[in-house]
Amino acid sequence: MSTMTINGKLAPLPDDPDALLVDVVRDALGLTGTKLVCGAGVCGACTVLVDGEPAVSCLMPARSAANTNVTTVEGIGAARLHPVQKAFMAHDALQCGFCTPGFIVEAAAFHDSWRAAKGTAVPSREEIGAALSGHLCRCGAYDGIFRAVADACAGRFDGNDIPPPRMEARDKVTGSAKYTVDIHHDGQLEGVILRSPFAHARISELDLAPARAMPGVNAAISLLGDDRIVRYVGEPIAAVAARDRKTALAAIAAIKLGSERLPSAIGLDEARKADAPVVFEKSARKRAGNVSEGGGSPAPWKGNIRGPSAAFSKKPKKVRSWVDGARAANNPLLVEGTFRTGTQQHACLEPHAAVARFDGDRLTVHVSTQAVFHLMELIAKRYKLGHDKVRVIADHVGGGFGSKAALGVETTTAIELAREAGAPVRVAYDRHEELSVTGYRPATEVKIALLPSEQGELKALSLTAYADTGAATNSTIAALARLIYPAEAKELADFDVISNLPAGAPFRGPGGPPMAFALEQAIDEAALRMNIDPIALRKRWDPDPNRQRLYDWASSLEVWRNRKPIAAQSGRYRRGVGVATGYWLYLWQPGSKVEVAVKGGRLIASTATQDIGTGTRTVIANTVAREFGLEPHEIEVRIGDSNLPEGPGSGGSRVTASVIPPMLLAIEQLKAAIQQHAKRQPVPGSNAPWREWLAASPDLSATSVRPEDSRQMAPGVQSPLKQAGFMGMIFGWMMRRFSNLAIGAGVPSSVQVIEVEVDTWLGHVRVLNVHTGIAVGRIAAPALARSQAAGAVIQGIGYALYEAREVDSRTGDVLSGGMEDYRIPGIADTPVIDVHFDQGGFDHVLGGSVGIGEVATVPTSPAVANAILNATGVRLTELPIRPDRLVAALKGRAAA
Amino acid sequence: MTSSAMTATQAGEFRAAGTDLSERRRSGVSTGPVIDISAAPDTIGMHWDADESLRIGAFTTIAAIAADARIAAAYPGIAASAQGLATPQIRHLATLGGNLAQRSRCWYFRNPHIACLKKGGSDCPARSGNHLYHVAFDLGPCVAPHPSTMAAALLAYEAKVTTDRRSSLTIGDLLGDGSNGSADNALQPGEMIRSIELAPPLHGERALYKRAISRTYAEWPLVELCARAVIKDGTFQFVRLAAGGIAPVPLRLAAAEAALQGKPANVAAIAVVAERATSGAKPLPMTGYKLDLLKGVVQDLLERMTAS
Repeated sequence: MSTMTINGKLAPLPDDPDALLVDVVRDALGLTGTKLVCGAGVCGACTVLVDGEPAVSCLMPARSAANTNVTTVEGIGAARLHPVQKAFMAHDALQCGFCTPGFIVEAAAFHDSWRAAKGTAVPSREEIGAALSGHLCRCGAYDGIFRAVADACAGRFDGNDIPPPRMEARDKVTGSAKYTVDIHHDGQLEGVILRSPFAHARISELDLAPARAMPGVNAAISLLGDDRIVRYVGEPIAAVAARDRKTALAAIAAIKLGSERLPSAIGLDEARKADAPVVFEKSARKRAGNVSEGGGSPAPWKGNIRGPSAAFSKKPKKVRSWVDGARAANNPLLVEGTFRTGTQQHACLEPHAAVARFDGDRLTVHVSTQAVFHLMELIAKRYKLGHDKVRVIADHVGGGFGSKAALGVETTTAIELAREAGAPVRVAYDRHEELSVTGYRPATEVKIALLPSEQGELKALSLTAYADTGAATNSTIAALARLIYPAEAKELADFDVISNLPAGAPFRGPGGPPMAFALEQAIDEAALRMNIDPIALRKRWDPDPNRQRLYDWASSLEVWRNRKPIAAQSGRYRRGVGVATGYWLYLWQPGSKVEVAVKGGRLIASTATQDIGTGTRTVIANTVAREFGLEPHEIEVRIGDSNLPEGPGSGGSRVTASVIPPMLLAIEQLKAAIQQHAKRQPVPGSNAPWREWLAASPDLSATSVRPEDSRQMAPGVQSPLKQAGFMGMIFGWMMRRFSNLAIGAGVPSSVQVIEVEVDTWLGHVRVLNVHTGIAVGRIAAPALARSQAAGAVIQGIGYALYEAREVDSRTGDVLSGGMEDYRIPGIADTPVIDVHFDQGGFDHVLGGSVGIGEVATVPTSPAVANAILNATGVRLTELPIRPDRLVAALKGRAAA
Repeated sequence: MTSSAMTATQAGEFRAAGTDLSERRRSGVSTGPVIDISAAPDTIGMHWDADESLRIGAFTTIAAIAADARIAAAYPGIAASAQGLATPQIRHLATLGGNLAQRSRCWYFRNPHIACLKKGGSDCPARSGNHLYHVAFDLGPCVAPHPSTMAAALLAYEAKVTTDRRSSLTIGDLLGDGSNGSADNALQPGEMIRSIELAPPLHGERALYKRAISRTYAEWPLVELCARAVIKDGTFQFVRLAAGGIAPVPLRLAAAEAALQGKPANVAAIAVVAERATSGAKPLPMTGYKLDLLKGVVQDLLERMTAS
């Protein structure tokens, strides 16, 4: 038997020729800091040092590690933290943390060789970008990573630790943070799902016996619905639990299937045809998924087309007649166009995963989820268990972005397999599953018409959106145009186009980015035709007080003031500057509770929410610390466990606004109780009176529920739903009644000014710098809010330039199921990002803070497109703006 | 990205570093036996002859080639290609032989549930399906571009290949002409690449490498080009242009090379010649853009060579 030395200790290597180093490291040795993500050497999460050189352990046969010296992230900072680890912590160069161990290992190796050769010289962004080009971060923490690596190389982190701005940063940079995929119980089995190879079929026969008969297989279950119909490639059919993944895969291959193929329709164009096969017959419509954060309203449904959902229109007939009239009169101010966006996958680096375990009648499920509390309720309801019998745990979550907000198949399958097997079961999706069946932001086709009046006001706006929702419904795209740019009349119609593709899911500001891609380019075009500065036109047409302040900030930016006239350049490389606006609703979750306690002199804040990389732990710690005059790291934050007081889901940017107000109330109560119980007062003039009170306090606690917001609002602040009239009020009532979401007053807003450089020969767009102005009230955790804002821009750049799910339009197979073919931004694609927070606008919310996650990504793609127009004179109407599209568009112009 | 299996045999697939094969084994595309192979002293590292010619062992890692100062000086196109492919962590493991013998990156081939010519199927699903990243020179039944960046660079240098059975093979001999859709190379069953030979560089030659991609790094090339030239007295005396990402095998752009011969090394002449780069192209419905990119990279590298 051969061996390797790993983190200084000798370890045996298996004889199995197919064993890979990552499996030995994680499974046999339990060193779970090393992560398995893409399995193809693309993302770098599995990086370890082999004889000092970074290597992809997901592709390295374990055999070839024989007689080598392997160092994992656990070995990097074993004695004391490496300077790179300290720098990552100090610069908040991480969010969900799942990619962090790989980055740390690579960056540490780069740092060590750099320092050996160049002392404390500072590497350039280009040098850092090249060195870390084999790593991907889905949260987009690259901005902090640049700063961290540069500063570590410069020797600025050779000294002692500095308390990091992010509470759990140390666990993430050392690899000790445990995610769902890292959970391992004794006797735990591995669950694998058999998925449909057909886009549409009736499964006439499903024989699990051959799988059950295999040695090492402990459970096999059917996952078919009672109609036994599968509606997309990848729909679950059955699942098995076995002693290891290899055995489980062999078992699902042994399952006997009989099927009757049904005709299928794949994608927007096919499914809209009059004679297209129908995906959901009337009786089956309730099986469709949901692509929005809230529940849906009723809508007409004909064949595969559900819609129009047009409740947010205002005098739609007027729009039609004015637009028709303007077209007939060749009104040069009438802007019309069709805009298309691609299907964006969430591409969470931690896959959807669950580990279920029964102890008697009690069920504990570790889930990679955005909603521990709500998931507990859903599981209890589905399996008819008491709330006290179900516990959902998510200490750390490796990205969600909207795709992990529901009770997913990975979770129900793990539970059902665990029940049948009588043993704990883990289900963790592989990369192809993650990039095909876990949801996505639907592709869209948005037709827009925008008509200014003779006086230069916005007269009429029409948006008709078709969303490629697959086996799901409830897209809200056009309707979002009601809450910005008031007009005399608006015609807003949303259609879902259902087809034999996996179901879409909510994704960071669902409907926002495709709406903005069309609307913000139409506004830009109107400004061009009216010969008005695009920011000035927005300022005229968009009265929202938060955005008015952001427009003033944006128009004062040097890059904006110095921008050149449209298409003034003729060389190969052309630079341009664009602007765009975005907004999102301010949502909060009624019933959210926070408990604040003092125990043994230490403050503990608890709520059943979770931190998916957004910074929730830190928001809580900072708030408590500020109120007591302490340091955040002195506060213990308990989250990620459904046994704690009911907390909000991490979706709809709701967490901050749901937890700070009840926390402040609880703090007030706790303070009163502590003072009441105090036997003596602090020393007069003490600069830390609460430290003294707490030290002397008996154990006490206080819990509060999220209060309603104040009705005292600053001038111009109102509920956005008021703009939408009666239908808006109905919508607000429905969201609260059926989705437990309150829509508050005031509108979280973002304005971005982006500069690009276009290589007209190779169709390549480089985003040079981004100025993102954000109004989400008071910033509770500044370093982390900055990370969120920068990450949202980077994800927006992915949406604008690189990302698109690709399918085979005949078979419905997802072709972009690997990270080589589904292209998310890398560190070297990251522009210089300037984040501006306008901290007003939400004084009616206790604490003054609302969420940032979604609004910050909405304007990026139209701002990029507007910048490309400024550079080249060509308007790109289809996302992503890949080289193939850009060279074609440039050619079209040259030919014209 | 680069890889491992030096060639497929009836008995099993060769595995050097495994950076290609491991992915195919995890996905289930490769299921047969694996034959681990390892370096001998003469199949690893750089072996320079007195006449300045170079033999590179097939087990030499891409990172070693990329970091070799003498290669960078003598064969800058080889060094730049090695620096430009895959990612640093893969380059540290992946071997030159494995890079040449890696399997196709076609998304149909890599999906274990889809039949294709390279997996014993009877037709190419990409041809009639989604071939966004496929060939623009349609030379055979399979429309996947050859994935080896090193092969394109070695083609530009007219390198020779030695296997355990044959010697002095050209890159064309090694990879075939693209007419055999079932294979990624023309090695015999069980035949293994041992080394690559490069003739001494020409006096005064320059070389550059470029790949056109959507992001900055770590992406399979839409189009890539290794260009060599000798510019003397203001004219192109010698030109070699070898492109990847556009055909089932790396291609010499013979028409453009011929058109440049003896032409003035200036922007105007280059612009005219770049149009010839696409001579013989047969794009698929979705790959016409690759011809624009090909012209772009030809123009880019030639202009940079005249400027340097």
